[in-house]
Amino acid sequence: MKFKAFLTENGVILLEKRFLPALDKMGKICHLFLTREHAFFLHNLLSGDGVQSIAQFHKEALFDDYRISSQNEDRIAFAIDISLLNRAVRSSVSICSELGGGGSTANRLQIKLVKKLPPNSTLPTPFLTFETKGYKSAVIQDVPISKPLSRTQVLELQTALDMAQDLPQTLVQVPDLNQLQNFVDRMKHVGDLLNVSISKYGDLHVQTSTTLITLGAEFRKLLVIGEQAFAPPEDQTFSAQTRSERAILRGDAQSVQVNVKHFSKSLQCHLAKPDCAFYGIAPQGACLTVIFQFFIPGTRQTDKSISLHCRLPVLDPS
Amino acid sequence: MSSSAVDAEAPDLVCQLDNVQGMVDALSSVRWKRNQDAVIELSEHGIVFIVEETGCLQAKVYLQRELFTQYEFRAHGRPRFGVSLGLFVDCLNSFSVPGHSSFIEIRYPGPDMKLLLKSVDSLDSCIYAEVRTRIPDSISWDYNFEPAGSTPLTFTVKSAALKEAVDDLEWPGSNIQIKLQPAPPAVTFRGEGHGDLQIDLMYYVNTDLLVAFHCDRQVSYRYKYKFLRATTSNIPNSVIKDNRGSKLSIGRGGMLKVQHLVSVARSSTPHPHIDSAGYQQSSRIAYIEFFVKPEEDEDAVND
Repeated sequence: MKFKAFLTENGVILLEKRFLPALDKMGKICHLFLTREHAFFLHNLLSGDGVQSIAQFHKEALFDDYRISSQNEDRIAFAIDISLLNRAVRSSVSICSELGGGGSTANRLQIKLVKKLPPNSTLPTPFLTFETKGYKSAVIQDVPISKPLSRTQVLELQTALDMAQDLPQTLVQVPDLNQLQNFVDRMKHVGDLLNVSISKYGDLHVQTSTTLITLGAEFRKLLVIGEQAFAPPEDQTFSAQTRSERAILRGDAQSVQVNVKHFSKSLQCHLAKPDCAFYGIAPQGACLTVIFQFFIPGTRQTDKSISLHCRLPVLDPS
Repeated sequence: MSSSAVDAEAPDLVCQLDNVQGMVDALSSVRWKRNQDAVIELSEHGIVFIVEETGCLQAKVYLQRELFTQYEFRAHGRPRFGVSLGLFVDCLNSFSVPGHSSFIEIRYPGPDMKLLLKSVDSLDSCIYAEVRTRIPDSISWDYNFEPAGSTPLTFTVKSAALKEAVDDLEWPGSNIQIKLQPAPPAVTFRGEGHGDLQIDLMYYVNTDLLVAFHCDRQVSYRYKYKFLRATTSNIPNSVIKDNRGSKLSIGRGGMLKVQHLVSVARSSTPHPHIDSAGYQQSSRIAYIEFFVKPEEDEDAVND
């Protein structure tokens, strides 16, 4: 089992400034899953509860000189502490820039999988090692990782990953992630459960309700991807709640209940600076999915080498 | 986006406000603990929130009708109802968007005697809330504040200084004595508990701090520290930033009245809906009043 690659400058920026801070909010520990073509950061795919988050990078988005080999179709997976990983990347960056940087090949950041004897231990332990070669010195940082996943566990992870790829039939674009985040953060003080309904008309309706209070927000005329329909004009006159109830009865909308903390967590992904975000409900209301879209810088074209989406567990499937 | 269910009978009150944050600030200043119930009283003059604690402390927030961009009151008498203050403030806070003046409508009663709130900024997005109300408890104690003699005993101090003084008195804790004396004109806060701490505010020595002072005879009363603290603990930042003063008065029987002024002026970004109305920003102030009963065992010279 071998893995060795150089993080590109762009890869370092993507990870350090955008993805790792966002993924850190999703949970301390994630699985780093490396294949011949892709690197995945996966949260909660094997545990079954909590928000699942799937960040996928084509190897060229992060690395060059990417070498991987294992007896399991060149697939390697292990658990890693995101905050430690981010610290290692960040300090490597500062070393690189201290040493003059300039993009010369001399001080590139190499990462590799190693097994080492930690101090005061007789058991070799796996690490992800960051090696920064400077002008006269080299700095090595070892980030502890879990034992690499077994063949069966990797298969399980791959299956969970394949299953997490199903797309909702209707997706609506969130108008303003920051504003929604702000609202949901304040909503957290009022209730624990959030009803989310999404219609083919482009309505997103979130509501929390307790015995004492009902608090909700409705966003209308959002961009719809997938199945869409025209809103009946008579619906204009109704309240947000009535409108979404009618749309559900008509089969033009779906509604699920999620944990408001999960919802807020999924919004934290805006730290990864996506260009837009879409919410949708998976078929049969299996989960609430949020898909973040990244454009090729300077264009409105989707950057297919990067993808990020989250799946929020649904609390009451009825 | 009208709610059809309540149209059948005209509600007691429909009003609109363009500065939610100001209302949140004003109401937060009377939140001194987690679970508090508030009584809301509606009248043609405005909305009053009343919060009480164990018959010793009462706070009132006056939101006069001038603070609202629209105020339609149709009830006979003065409808009163109870809400959970914390929940109401948290809910109101959800309507406030930083850097953006939020425009909301408040309506009472809605279906099931609920208090209804909704944002009216935009046609394509809307925040709404329905707050369950309850029948209010009767007010346990009459807080009628009456002057102690022919001349009022009052002083006005910079809110920031008052808050600082009360915060400092936490160290001795327990009871705090407030003494007013005419010659030399001064106010003394004194705490005796885990050690003594005395804070003197001398009128004329520092008129920046003690802005006004009226006292014709010496009085002294003791107040429970926790109640005194409740009057200043949540003074909104805007009050400190605007360098406002708080007025303290001592009435018959040593009842202490503390008054703060909280700005409910809308933020600088103009709102297209009300530009023509030409509101006087300076007059858009919410009045906060606290009434604190003195401790029984006062020993000093009183009226």
